[in-house]
Amino acid sequence: MSILKNLPQRKDEQYPSMIIAGAREHGEQPHELANKIFSEMRGDFRYKEFVLGCLNCGECTTGCPAARFYDFSPREMLQVAMSDDPDVLLDAMQEKIWACCQCYTCNMRCRFGNDIAGIISVMRELAVRNGLESAKEVLKPASRSLLKVMTHGTQVSPDMIQPDFFIDWDPKAVSKTGDLIALRKAIPIDVLQVTDSSWEVSMQTALELAQIYEESGVLDMLRSLDPDLVEMIVDIISDWKDEFEEMKEKFGI
Amino acid sequence: MKMLSADQIREVVKARSEKRAVSDKKVMDIREEMWNLHDKGEIIVIPIEKKNKPVTVRTLFGWEKKVPTDHLWHHKSCGQCGNIPGYPASLLWFMNQFGTEYLNEPHQTSCTAWNYHGTGTSNPVALAAVAVRNWHRAYETGTFPLIHCGTSYGDYKEMRKLIVENKEVRDKVRDIMHHMGKELTIPEEIVHYSEWVHVMRDRMAAMSKYDLSNVTATVHEPCHYYKMVPEDAIYDESVHGGQRPAPPTALMISLGAKVADYSTWYDCCGFGFRHILTEREFTRSFATLRKIKPMVEEAHSDVAITTDTGCVTTLDKSQWIGKVHGMEFMVPVLADVQIAALAAGAHPYKIVQLHWHASPTEKLMEKMGIDYTAYKNDFMKYLEQIKNGGEIEYLYTPHREMEKYFAVNKGQVLPEGMKSRTG
Ligand code: SF4
Ligand code: SF4
Repeated sequence: MSILKNLPQRKDEQYPSMIIAGAREHGEQPHELANKIFSEMRGDFRYKEFVLGCLNCGECTTGCPAARFYDFSPREMLQVAMSDDPDVLLDAMQEKIWACCQCYTCNMRCRFGNDIAGIISVMRELAVRNGLESAKEVLKPASRSLLKVMTHGTQVSPDMIQPDFFIDWDPKAVSKTGDLIALRKAIPIDVLQVTDSSWEVSMQTALELAQIYEESGVLDMLRSLDPDLVEMIVDIISDWKDEFEEMKEKFGI
Repeated sequence: MKMLSADQIREVVKARSEKRAVSDKKVMDIREEMWNLHDKGEIIVIPIEKKNKPVTVRTLFGWEKKVPTDHLWHHKSCGQCGNIPGYPASLLWFMNQFGTEYLNEPHQTSCTAWNYHGTGTSNPVALAAVAVRNWHRAYETGTFPLIHCGTSYGDYKEMRKLIVENKEVRDKVRDIMHHMGKELTIPEEIVHYSEWVHVMRDRMAAMSKYDLSNVTATVHEPCHYYKMVPEDAIYDESVHGGQRPAPPTALMISLGAKVADYSTWYDCCGFGFRHILTEREFTRSFATLRKIKPMVEEAHSDVAITTDTGCVTTLDKSQWIGKVHGMEFMVPVLADVQIAALAAGAHPYKIVQLHWHASPTEKLMEKMGIDYTAYKNDFMKYLEQIKNGGEIEYLYTPHREMEKYFAVNKGQVLPEGMKSRTG
């Protein structure tokens, strides 16, 4: 049974521990994919800084919020990170890595000084970069905020706090749609008086962020996860580049 | 689900426990090496100068940390600006009261770490470059970055360490910066706004118009303030015996409130980064059962105080749904600077913007002696005035139209074709 709600049903016949669609898409057998991911993780410069050894003491797990609600434990994740079996790694990367809240409580408690939250993040990066189907499923609902952060540089915007998206929040906090523009104007800070971004990010700044995402390889990484989203981002940035040139003329720059 | 067999686990434990012998990780003060790199011309350290009027505090291991109090560059938080706007407004309001020089610009992105911690869709070079791009803007305007968000603060401390320790990342980030006419700059200290509040707390308390002596507060300490790069958080032996971070407890004591303990103070809020956006069944369960319930039942809390975006959001917004499980109690959740602003007489709606909060704040204001009805009526009138195209009140002179596009700096529109001083 899946522990997270957004995960697909497993196809168990041949590879009981794996969601195999991601592997198929790459024309690879799962164990080849597992080997590839395993060597990528071991080759990452952070691996030897984050994974220092483990007593299996479970101190990390006793303070872990995710362990209270999911079939998940940071102790197990650290053991997985140290395991020499690539299949064990790929298996944990299907679901378990997404349970972590990134609160760093485990790091604070671990007497070995492991960066458990950090190695989980490395695994998440690898899941995204390798286009695992499970990562696509888990992150599908996040595409709206991904688009926002990649273009506007801010994670959320006031117009995202809508009842359909935040059905469990107090209606008082989400039913401002009608008044939203006026309410934003009533914030005494000019750059906050927008609804489509947390604050107004200047175009030059947004274009510089896009340049960072491009030069650092994040856009390529995202392509494995959601090529359509990348297309959308590229289109928006390209329109902004044109507008930026027009503005240079307008303001005589 | 494929599980490790008992034999496999035994093998792993046996093999890995032996690594005890090689685990000699020590926590180093990264700032020393940072200054070495500055002297070698590899990076530029943005110094804390006299004009920044620094106050020195102590961190976890007793190391000194300088907290600049003037000429600041506001590094805003996406969650604060997006749904708790009274958070930054209260901070800027205080700075106006103190005559603090600051810049609050559109030429800033978020740290993007919320996204990274939630989805894994970034990498170390990108995160470091985003940090440096923002720091550089403070550098070129002669100000010092003040980080509003706990996650940005934690992330920037990680990025500082990464850039200092890893030459490959450093070189890549420097290249990206040079492509945009910028330098590889790192601030002398990474400073969270709550640290500014902490060192200004007595001046804030001196402004108090309303009394908090009847108020019992519980404190939620944000994980990314003190569990991420723990050695850099402020501790003070006179606060919780130096066993917990000093902000914001020290402020609440200065304001005259009772700070009550509760058993789950150490737990996170349940934000989860990914969970708050797309899997809130975890977030709301954790927030209500592990935080709000003990705050109310054990500590009889009148207000929960915290110092981070995600924590205010999670603890505040998750309460209402608790009613379906018979949790009829609600406790207001405010940032440290918001309650300090309320006590100092800031307008609860025009400045502290309490109408964005989901948990009711009226009882708290009643306890403090604030006539919130009069303020509410005043705000409703103001809102009508805005809707009718009337005048809008600002905390500083709004930016010019061209600054929606260009990072204007002292009459210079794009960063000068600077000759590189680094690398
Ligand atoms: S960072 Fe993740 S694994 Fe570590 S304690 Fe927090 S939720 Fe658990
Ligand atoms: S606290 Fe550290 S040593 Fe103990 S089980 Fe967790 S990772 Fe291993």
